[in-house]
Amino acid sequence: MGHARAALACPTRVGYRGSVKKTGGHRVLRVATVAWSALLGALGCASERPGGPATVTVSGSVLGAEGRILRRQLERFDRETPDIRVEMRPTPDAADLRHQLYVQWLNARATDPDILQVDAIWTPEFAAAGWILPLDRFAPDTAAFFPVTIEANRWRGDLFALPWFVDVGMLYWRTDLFSEPPETWDALERAVIPIVAGGSPRYGLVWQGARYEGLVTVFLEYLGGFGGRILDGDRVTVQEPPGVLALTTMRDQIHRTGVVPRRVLTWHEEEPRFAFQNGEAALMRNWPYAAGPMQDSTQSRVAGRFAVAPMPAGPGGRHTAAFGGAQLAINAFSPEAAAAWLVIEYLTRPEQMLERASIVGQFPTRTAVYDDPALADALAIPPAQARAIVEAAVPRPVTPVYTQLSEILQIQLHRALSLQAEPRDALARAGSEMQALLDRAGLGRGGVAVR
Amino acid sequence: MRGRDRWATLVIVALVLGAAFPFYRAVAGSLTPEAQLFEGAPLWPSPPVLEHYRALFAEREFWLPIRNSLVVAGATTLFCVTIGSLCAYALARLRFRGKALLLGVILAVSMFPQIAIVSPLFLLLRSVRLIDTYPGLILPYLTFAMPLAVWLLVGYFRQLPAELEEAAMVDGAGRLRAFREVIVPLALPGLAATAILTFVYSWNEFLFALSFTLGPERQTVPVAIALFRGQYQVPWGQVLAAAIVATAPVAALVLVFQRRIVQGLTAGAVKG
Amino acid sequence: MVAPAVVTILLVALFPLTWTVWESLHLHDLRMPWLGQPFVGLENYAEVLRDRRFWGAMGHTLWFAAASVSLELVLGCVLALAMNRTFRGRALVRASILIPWAIPTVVAALVWRFMFEGLEGWLTHDLRAWVPVILSDVWKTTPFVALLLLAGLQGIDPALYEAARIDGASPWRQFRYVTLPLLAPAIMVALIFRTLDAFRVFDLIYVLTGGGPGTATEPIALYTFNTLMHNLRFGYGSALSVLVFLVTFGLALGYIRLLGRGLTDVRS
Repeated sequence: MGHARAALACPTRVGYRGSVKKTGGHRVLRVATVAWSALLGALGCASERPGGPATVTVSGSVLGAEGRILRRQLERFDRETPDIRVEMRPTPDAADLRHQLYVQWLNARATDPDILQVDAIWTPEFAAAGWILPLDRFAPDTAAFFPVTIEANRWRGDLFALPWFVDVGMLYWRTDLFSEPPETWDALERAVIPIVAGGSPRYGLVWQGARYEGLVTVFLEYLGGFGGRILDGDRVTVQEPPGVLALTTMRDQIHRTGVVPRRVLTWHEEEPRFAFQNGEAALMRNWPYAAGPMQDSTQSRVAGRFAVAPMPAGPGGRHTAAFGGAQLAINAFSPEAAAAWLVIEYLTRPEQMLERASIVGQFPTRTAVYDDPALADALAIPPAQARAIVEAAVPRPVTPVYTQLSEILQIQLHRALSLQAEPRDALARAGSEMQALLDRAGLGRGGVAVR
Repeated sequence: MRGRDRWATLVIVALVLGAAFPFYRAVAGSLTPEAQLFEGAPLWPSPPVLEHYRALFAEREFWLPIRNSLVVAGATTLFCVTIGSLCAYALARLRFRGKALLLGVILAVSMFPQIAIVSPLFLLLRSVRLIDTYPGLILPYLTFAMPLAVWLLVGYFRQLPAELEEAAMVDGAGRLRAFREVIVPLALPGLAATAILTFVYSWNEFLFALSFTLGPERQTVPVAIALFRGQYQVPWGQVLAAAIVATAPVAALVLVFQRRIVQGLTAGAVKG
Repeated sequence: MVAPAVVTILLVALFPLTWTVWESLHLHDLRMPWLGQPFVGLENYAEVLRDRRFWGAMGHTLWFAAASVSLELVLGCVLALAMNRTFRGRALVRASILIPWAIPTVVAALVWRFMFEGLEGWLTHDLRAWVPVILSDVWKTTPFVALLLLAGLQGIDPALYEAARIDGASPWRQFRYVTLPLLAPAIMVALIFRTLDAFRVFDLIYVLTGGGPGTATEPIALYTFNTLMHNLRFGYGSALSVLVFLVTFGLALGYIRLLGRGLTDVRS
């Protein structure tokens, strides 16, 4: 009820701010805006969040094991650092919802939360908009992290977020159904078609096919398998032959060979995990988190009967893992940037990462942690293998308009996969719309680059 | 006629069952363990669990959105019924120029597509720092609630005989006093119906609440439920439990006040 | 006495609408602050006309409105006719069909999504995905239509049926020549309210399909919302908003003219 109290405490101040002038450049509009503000003032004046001298708010997942571990680590920080108080600010767990929330917060110039848990693909966007602070002033030890995790968080040469944990796309395979993981898509289809025809298990390969960011990560892995890229510098290349080949392969696996069930088109991460864990799928593409619950024999029917491998490749490409995961950034409007940095520095220490890995199964971003023997107990797969997959991970395009590019791509991928368009046409349309977006943003060919 | 009555009963029973089936599925789903919910729930869970309801309040703090919805819908209703009844009374009784135009404008605003004013409202609320506050929701809610309330109330006031307040005014009472002491008590049923409808519309509103709140601190019930989706899945058990909880108060209102609601609905619509 | 309400309506509805028009003449992309906020005239509107997603969304909206409203009118009429016969437990029936109408649309959409999620191939098919969308809307709003029509039915003088029966008119002819013409005003009102409502459809589809698969079920309000609140293209989104407003307004105007004095007559 902090807002309400703050509002009651200042009944005379009308919530009119200088920034109104900027938004309503016209005199009539401005007059009306003042009238509006007066109306608002009558109802309750501008709210102000209460804030002590050094309270730092952290936004992120607060549910389940992830929330518990974060809470525990922050409590420990509180005890060790008495002059800084840390509070947690819950946010939605779904990435797209959290992204939208952050955009609304930062766009509304909210001063808290001070620390944001961001996906790597958001860093350039928030950085270019001036919503998060460059971190170089705090001299982070970037050399200790995987280079791919650092590069994804740079914008115009500056580091804007510190990698917290890594997510990579992996192929989960059943050791009781296969003697070795399929190396290529051809091999996968050859091995899976008879299994699906026999009906046991009923699904071959399952992945994330709903129209959301997860679909792009899956596509990126097929695409890399055929040697393609979404973006080449400021040029969109997704519509080129490797892209068409990748998307055609995905579509045919659903509609021609039946290797992938059609229902994946509404699936996010957890549905494939349930299917695989219930023994209903032979193969699954998913993130590292899935290994933990699937090793738990009280809820999993495949505990001890699965392993992970890199995603298969096609001709002309290589095994590709989409790189994801979480980074920590500082809100540019935060009045407590220095204190916020101390919290980030604490949360990204090797021992915290190790604890996170052992409880939530998330891969550390510091290379040295992989040499710690304790990690072998923490992860569901051998650390050396995890490290190899991370080192081969491919970041998604680093651009401030990534989420818009991705939305265009998601729609067209989903249209092709639900048979509303041919892969070639869908990608051609995605390509031209994405290029138009880049050009409009001044980031495309011949545009005045922001860089 | 007996055959036709049987036909009518059959239609009604079929439609009532049809209307009830989704509720049944929701209740059953909210009592089913999460692992069984994957790929469609069984028709009835065995054994039923209350885990989702527990998690809803213990982990999700679902009482927060309930509180927010109560505050926002309650304040909107209060504001609309008080201010709106003055306006409606004037429209029902007084003669003044531009009355027809005013009625037309009110009707037009009630038909407004909300999406048409989302962006300026966002910029305005942001500039006066009312994003993610109660007033920042109540004000936008007036755009649809105020015309609705005025429109309904004009209908009720017109039904009241004018002689009563004329008598009061002959006795020396002013217009406002006549309104307060004669009309308001007589129109109480109508005011109640208006209040209920305004409350239900505000309780259910989604677009503004989605656009102008930033987090659980101020999210209303519909927004909170719609954004339940987890990082990796839709937690269907909790979603359905929340759906049942969110439905309960409006269902109760409907059951208790159904006659009033029907009057309000049909009066407001048929007459306007 | 009217002033407070009128001022409120002006400030919270008409002023923002004016602002929307103003915004729609600018390039204003909150995600790309480096582009500034220049005046671009009608450029946004020109882009809308070339925008395939816009035309798709318009088409989806019209189709949704036509399909759901006609189903609701037919079903609502049947239900109203049935309810017009006195029978025991009438109050209970009325209350039970009112509940779907009273619950939040978001909740209704979630429940329907839950029921269809388990069925393979419905939410992932561009045409079949409309089935849960339209069904849930019919489920939720038929009661409203039925109650409107019931009120209309109750206003019909029973003597007319008596006379028709004496003339030997069959039940169908009674319906066709007595009920339908006298019910016409109520039907028109239901039609107006439901069409305008259907045209604004947002919550239902946002929750049920998110506009998918692809954008196969995306209505105009959802596209506009995505443009504004997800992509933060306020200039372009405002142009979309203005067009939505114009279409709705045109519809309303057309209907009101069609009804002619009907509305104001009953009113006074």
